[in-house]
Amino acid sequence: MDCIKKKVDEELKRGWIGPDLKCDYHPCHFTGQDCTFCYCPFYPCGDEDLGNMLTGKRGNEVWACSDCLFIHREEVCRFVMDEVARLGITEAGDPRFRDIFLDAKKRFYRKGRALMVVGATSDAGKSITVAAICRILHRKGYLVAPFKSQNMSLNAKATRMGTEIAMAQTVQAKAAGLKTPDSHMNPILLKPKKDTVSQVIVCGKPFADYDVESYYGEFVPGPGRTIVRENVAFLKGRYDFVIMEGAGSPAEINIYDRDIANMGAAVEADADVILVVNVEWGGAFAYALGTVELIPELDRSRIKGVIFNNIRGDPERFRPGIAEFEKQCGVPVIGLVPHADVILPSEDSEALRGMRRKGDGKCLVGVVKYPRIANFTDLDPLFLEDVSVVFVEQASDLDGVDAVVLPGTKNTVGDMMWMEERGIADRIRSLKGKVPVAGICGGYQMMGRTLDDSDGLESGSPRIIDGLGFLDMTTKFGEYKKRVVNSDGTMLIGDGGEISGYELHMGMSEVNEEPLFEITNNQDRGPVKEGAVRDSEMIYGTYLHGIFDKKPFRSYFLSRIVHDGKHVDTTDVRDYDDILEENIEKLADVFEESLDMGAIMRLLGVSE
Amino acid sequence: MRILVLGTSSDAGKTVCCAMICRYLSKRGMDPVPFKAFNLSLNSYATKDGGEIGIGQAFQAWACGVEPETDMNPVLLKPSGNGKIQAVIAGKPFSDIGADRSTYQAAAREEIPKAYSRLASAHGCVICEGSGSPAELNLMQHDLANTGLMRMIGVPAVLVGDIERGGVFAAIYGTWRLIPDDVRPLVRGFFINRFRGEPSILREGIEKVEELTGMRCLGVLPYLPLRFPEEDSLSQSEGRMEGEDPRQAFMANVDTLLEAAEASGFDFEALIRMSDRGSSAGGDPQGPHVGRRLGVHGHRPAVQKEDEGVRRAAGRAHGVLYRRSRGYLHGPVLKQDARHGAPIPCGLFMIRPDTVNYPGAMVDASLPSVERRGTGWREEDPG
Repeated sequence: MDCIKKKVDEELKRGWIGPDLKCDYHPCHFTGQDCTFCYCPFYPCGDEDLGNMLTGKRGNEVWACSDCLFIHREEVCRFVMDEVARLGITEAGDPRFRDIFLDAKKRFYRKGRALMVVGATSDAGKSITVAAICRILHRKGYLVAPFKSQNMSLNAKATRMGTEIAMAQTVQAKAAGLKTPDSHMNPILLKPKKDTVSQVIVCGKPFADYDVESYYGEFVPGPGRTIVRENVAFLKGRYDFVIMEGAGSPAEINIYDRDIANMGAAVEADADVILVVNVEWGGAFAYALGTVELIPELDRSRIKGVIFNNIRGDPERFRPGIAEFEKQCGVPVIGLVPHADVILPSEDSEALRGMRRKGDGKCLVGVVKYPRIANFTDLDPLFLEDVSVVFVEQASDLDGVDAVVLPGTKNTVGDMMWMEERGIADRIRSLKGKVPVAGICGGYQMMGRTLDDSDGLESGSPRIIDGLGFLDMTTKFGEYKKRVVNSDGTMLIGDGGEISGYELHMGMSEVNEEPLFEITNNQDRGPVKEGAVRDSEMIYGTYLHGIFDKKPFRSYFLSRIVHDGKHVDTTDVRDYDDILEENIEKLADVFEESLDMGAIMRLLGVSE
Repeated sequence: MRILVLGTSSDAGKTVCCAMICRYLSKRGMDPVPFKAFNLSLNSYATKDGGEIGIGQAFQAWACGVEPETDMNPVLLKPSGNGKIQAVIAGKPFSDIGADRSTYQAAAREEIPKAYSRLASAHGCVICEGSGSPAELNLMQHDLANTGLMRMIGVPAVLVGDIERGGVFAAIYGTWRLIPDDVRPLVRGFFINRFRGEPSILREGIEKVEELTGMRCLGVLPYLPLRFPEEDSLSQSEGRMEGEDPRQAFMANVDTLLEAAEASGFDFEALIRMSDRGSSAGGDPQGPHVGRRLGVHGHRPAVQKEDEGVRRAAGRAHGVLYRRSRGYLHGPVLKQDARHGAPIPCGLFMIRPDTVNYPGAMVDASLPSVERRGTGWREEDPG
């Protein structure tokens, strides 16, 4: 407590400073945050709206600020400093801070409002609509949080807090300018393991495996609804707006009463709803009208607008149908959004089709597309480079490749066996030393000598199988435990350089090779070696997802790829994060122009 | 017999499902022929007499066991990039379509009914395929392939929806809702395509749509990893085409789909009843069939004494509804086929409950008269 007091004393002396751009960590919460009070003068405020009591490791009770951003709002900081000057307060811990707090809370604190975006189908454009709205509101100076109650996705990311949430929500959080998204924004994540079974992640931690029946029969009516309610309430308590994303269609009338992803969530959050329809496949008016009319009357009244999305060519050619549609449906059309040519992380495996090529693309990179491929957003940066990426599903797809990438998988042992069956494994063995091979997570595990699933936890039945044998490494799938860690570090080969990524895996490995990276942000232990490399054989393996995002490793790997004596052009390799930021801006521009923002701001309770 | 298959969107599976229906009718000896009034597609096929038609119709023709003809696709629009579209009418290039579409439209409206009549007079069944969605409010005025065709020749229709993307009930209901009042009564049925999982989970949704619209669900087709020739750029089918020869590969895939459709309980007979039958058009789609001999293609009709448990399970598993209508009970006869795990339908029956050991009775519809056999099935009570 003394260290806090000391810091606050300094802050009081310093006065109001706004955002501290000189700080190494800026912005640690959200872009545009006010850094006047890095340490909060109200701590511990004891206000349940903003934080809560936690029992610490040693049984003591600690007040946790729980993502509170109140003291980082400009109006609050200015007000506090003005009061401090007016009352002549010079020391932290002055009892008058209590009154200032109560006053500030009364003036500036409001519970947030929720707005929900549902889609007539999957791939309607819900996700990008939420991201766009988050960015538009962030640009207007509001504190916004994204929220998706239930996401089914194999692309998950580890947060700074060691929890696991869907990649889509981290992108939306980035659009909202938030630096540390957490599991509140995606409290239920389903990761499909087999056709009807998914691993269910609750509040960022593995909860249990469910099949379709038991998920809707036990989980949803049981803990499901409460989880949604509590997490939306948490976000509403801290942000001006919560922009919610639905899942699939809200009008699946055969499971309507068990749907917590769409109207169920809107009810829990008391949110108005916007319906997005992708016009690309045709039938948009029918999908829109059908969706609205099949939703039971009470919930239907929440639907306040329809957006027709992804229109190619002139959106105005839709106009003639709009009037008739509005007449039939009774819901206003609040946006005709053209196709936005933006680059965003792959949402689903539709992206892994055919061949992806940019530039001359003479160098051919073979990415193995196993049946249970996961975290394929890892590959997104490769699509932007001067290579052609081909998705390998049988041995002949590897003909003529100049590099091989083994991505992550939900089932390493099962997919290794799939590769053996198809002859892909042997083909890759024959390419050892001839072309560069990179393995990520499950792919990395496959590069070892042995995969030990003697407890049957990974593949269902106990077995021990051979890996590709590229690395002196054994992986054991011992416990139902998951390693979820966000890592920063440096590359230990080539010219070095920054790397960053995240681990998300079951199974632990013993590796006897030269390390590829050194992780430097390990709070407990100091720098730790990670990954494996045999540079002369062009073999690279790591547990880190997102490893191609930053320039150094991506450039290095690409530089090892040769086709007919020609190298990959790496002059234009950029940090994927920057590329993403640019595209989010572009997306927001397209939406801001095509949406009836007046209508949306009114739905958010803002009169401009 | 003639029927129009409409889709709730592009790529709902109209082309392939029409081919499947063509194959079924062809095997039944009903002399089918395909027809797509208007096609917007890059992929065309050159017929023997030097005309150009959409490739989907060529494949459908082969499924019918006939040679592709220009009459099967009287109007074909081919986008040639940079905003230009070439119109092909009666198999021959007509013009490029510019801002003024009236000339091409007039020619198209003249040719379509003529081509249709020629086909209809030469064959037993015409299986028509719609184009895109019939509910495009901004395009309805000039529609030629969907509601336009229904007005031109009064053909009854069924609606297919792709469930893979979600929202299929909304799509089917919404499409039905937006079809103009004057032709809506012609839309008599619907079916769902590309379903993965246990079909019984859809039952409530299907029933609700049937209640709201008066249409009848013909079935739920399973998702199959088969690849068919892509008609337009929107198709995203995965899977492989087996074999070198596309025609051979396509036919093999159609047969696989047909098998799967029958195994899933797709109600071809109801589809046939929904269609017009030649000049005595109309007739009640749920009309009485007692005692009619129903040909059963491919399988030898077998009467089986099955145990009640199996029949009930089969009834539920296939999402089959046994319907009560005007005092009769309708449903499929199920037979155990050694190749498929679950019983599959091989005929239809209709019995008056007071004439049998109600609620248990099983009927072999291939017999000339209704007969009682063994124990049977249990009625799904819709109420």
